[in-house]
Amino acid sequence: MAEHYSSFERGGRRWLLQRITAVFLIGVLAFHFVLLHFVNHAADIRFAGTQMRMSQLGYFVTMWLFLATATFHGVNGVYNALVNMGIEGTQKRVVAGVLAVAGLLLVAQGTRVALAMTNIV
Amino acid sequence: MSTLEHEEPETETETETEPEFDQEGAVGAARALEESYGEERARRVDEDLEDADEIVELKVFRYDPEVEGKEEPRFDSFLVPFHKGMTVLDALIYARDYYDSSLTFRHSCQQAVCGSDALFVNGRQRLGCKTQLADLEDPVRIEPLPHQEVVKDLVVDMEHFYEQMHAVEPFFDPDDLPDGELEEQRQSPENREKVKLSTRCIWCGACMSSCNIAAGDNQYLGPAAINKAYRFAMDEREGEDRKQERLRIIEQEHGVWRCQTQFSCTEVCPKDIPLTEHIQELKRESVKNNLKFW
Amino acid sequence: MFGQERVAGGRCCVETSNYTRYFARGMSTLDRGTIEDFGRWREFAPGMWAWIFHKFTGWVLVGYLFTHIAVLSTATGGAELYNSTLVGLESLLVVRFLEVGLLAVAVFHILNGIRLLFVDLGVGLTAQDKSFYASLLLTGVIVVASIPTFLGGAV
Repeated sequence: MAEHYSSFERGGRRWLLQRITAVFLIGVLAFHFVLLHFVNHAADIRFAGTQMRMSQLGYFVTMWLFLATATFHGVNGVYNALVNMGIEGTQKRVVAGVLAVAGLLLVAQGTRVALAMTNIV
Repeated sequence: MSTLEHEEPETETETETEPEFDQEGAVGAARALEESYGEERARRVDEDLEDADEIVELKVFRYDPEVEGKEEPRFDSFLVPFHKGMTVLDALIYARDYYDSSLTFRHSCQQAVCGSDALFVNGRQRLGCKTQLADLEDPVRIEPLPHQEVVKDLVVDMEHFYEQMHAVEPFFDPDDLPDGELEEQRQSPENREKVKLSTRCIWCGACMSSCNIAAGDNQYLGPAAINKAYRFAMDEREGEDRKQERLRIIEQEHGVWRCQTQFSCTEVCPKDIPLTEHIQELKRESVKNNLKFW
Repeated sequence: MFGQERVAGGRCCVETSNYTRYFARGMSTLDRGTIEDFGRWREFAPGMWAWIFHKFTGWVLVGYLFTHIAVLSTATGGAELYNSTLVGLESLLVVRFLEVGLLAVAVFHILNGIRLLFVDLGVGLTAQDKSFYASLLLTGVIVVASIPTFLGGAV
């Protein structure tokens, strides 16, 4: 039952990262919501405004970090929820792989989208 | 009748509300020789119920795959005469003695130290001997601990629980022994205070059966095992190497990290051990430990 | 004297001895459901509700994350496509209500997340159930206060 194996090194690293990303996300998600629903109304968002915001380096970097941390936090959360529900063995490794790939694809696509929103591309 | 009064010893009835010598009971005991056992029991129950201030209804989970009629679980109702201070275990014993001797449940010390009678009472894990009937709503529903295989009636299979406990090496195992031949292994009062609450575990299994993650993930060590690991890892008499070994066991994927701080274990522990707190401390300990090597 | 039996369908091993065999021979896999059997919801403690809600809101947010990136991907198709998609979505009343729902889910996840962070730091463990109720309450307050802003223009 307590065999010494681990597909991720000792699980403690991901636990800590989940908390660290959580702290960051609290701030950024709240900022994102306030900016896009209160400062600007969601119904008023247009490409021009988006481009203006995303063309500022600081904002762009923040949004990209938002994407990366949210993806990690979410995908890791899903993985843990599934482990808690009892997946094990091959199924677990397959799920871990699929989730990792999905996460990477999401970040890749998000990066493309982010770049498309600037006045660079 | 009067001759019997002198010869028969005072008979104790189940209702302890009567301080005087119970002549009826004495007569009844003599009469028992002529009645069938079942009849005598039934009559005693009727008497007890009449004399009692209150009657409590127990609804007890019954299951026995070897007996026809109990292959499918069912709930049996027992009416039990209440007396002040009566516990769930007292009521179960009464039901077994007076109604159905096949009612099966574990119990031993009757004083909350052996951990045998952890049950699921009115929707919560409790120790039978420690739970007052007066605190419970009628009818009192008694079931075996959830998330464990039922052997019969209220008896569950505890093997998985014991395996998890053994996996953390729950014994005192110091790195070095002191130099002098008869030298004690000293522990400071502060250190004792730190581990004091974690030493109270009676292996009843209530905590593990209340944890949703233990229910879902079979490999999860569980709160009791991790608390045991805490008890020894935090004991300064064991030494640094042993502590590292112990941490290595509990910091595996199905160790401390599975705890989602649901707090159900802390809520149901009959010895009031702050289990979640101990698990959290071990998580922090593990993180600090691993950060050192980066 | 002792043997090891694999219980049918069960996940644990059983040591059989003369004693246990006496009443364990008929061991079967009586399935009494999980602890979080929602039939027992009245018996759930606050900490358990917190765990359930945090999981549920987590799943919703992850689902939303993927959807959100997909919708924003219209930006790669030019300004016209992006604008018309957003305007089109925002004009639907049901989308406005979904946004309020999203706010509720995100706010709860954040507030309970803060509660969990305190628990992880070992602060305020004795008040953990009260802090759960506080997060619920605060979530409600924030959501209700935000409704005018969210629904404004479409109602």
